[in-house]
Amino acid sequence: MSALVAASVLVAGAVGAVIRYLLSKAYPVRPGHLPGGILVVNVVGSGLAGAVIGLAERAAVSDDVRLVLVTGFCGGLTTFSTWCVETIELADGGRWRAAILNVLVTLALGIGAALGLYLLVR
Amino acid sequence: MPPSLAVFVGGLAGTGLRLALDTVLPHADDGFPWSTLIANLVGTFALGWLAGGLWTRPAIPPWLKAGIGSGLIGSFTTLSAVMGAVAILDREEATALAALYLGVSLVAGLALAAAGLKLGSAIAHRPMPTEVTDDGATL
Repeated sequence: MSALVAASVLVAGAVGAVIRYLLSKAYPVRPGHLPGGILVVNVVGSGLAGAVIGLAERAAVSDDVRLVLVTGFCGGLTTFSTWCVETIELADGGRWRAAILNVLVTLALGIGAALGLYLLVR
Repeated sequence: MPPSLAVFVGGLAGTGLRLALDTVLPHADDGFPWSTLIANLVGTFALGWLAGGLWTRPAIPPWLKAGIGSGLIGSFTTLSAVMGAVAILDREEATALAALYLGVSLVAGLALAAAGLKLGSAIAHRPMPTEVTDDGATL
């Protein structure tokens, strides 16, 4: 991995993180709703990662581009920690149905997007 | 510091740490993605600990919460790598390994988030928050 590629991965991850932050501010956790912004970035990022991994498999994009987009951008855009912590906070607040839905909807849409786009483009 | 800038700086560091962990602990396409699992579990416990404890104190400025929470920890942990690995493991016909990876990530992630929130809140000498009252910026 060249220094340029490593630097590009870091910047792409940071840009992804800022987009996630702005969306989580625009669509925050509020009573009666799933954590919308986090759900959206996690599903979109998972789908994009699946697509790029599929493209890289048939050499449509280089390994360097895959690293910048998947490890960098998608890795920074999506998050595991906030998903888990928000789920527990929903459950602690007595909102069990929202907590369970947050897990199931994220898993179903995330796997569906990643696997679906991967199989579609590879 | 504007929160978005703090998130950008934290995102550089978090992505760099995750990239370093991937480089130190590489895995084959049909292997178990240890580096992602470790990053996700460590980051989830840390975020829970902060959200349950220090961040309930008004003295912590919003930009610091955004930079460390959304930036550093948010970009250190990742869901897309988990989902990408599930797709690759599916191709490798390692469906059982994919299911195990997802299951361990989810169960351990939720357990560590709960443990972090509880420990953080115990240290801050405050009861557990019973209602999510912040605007999402701290997460």
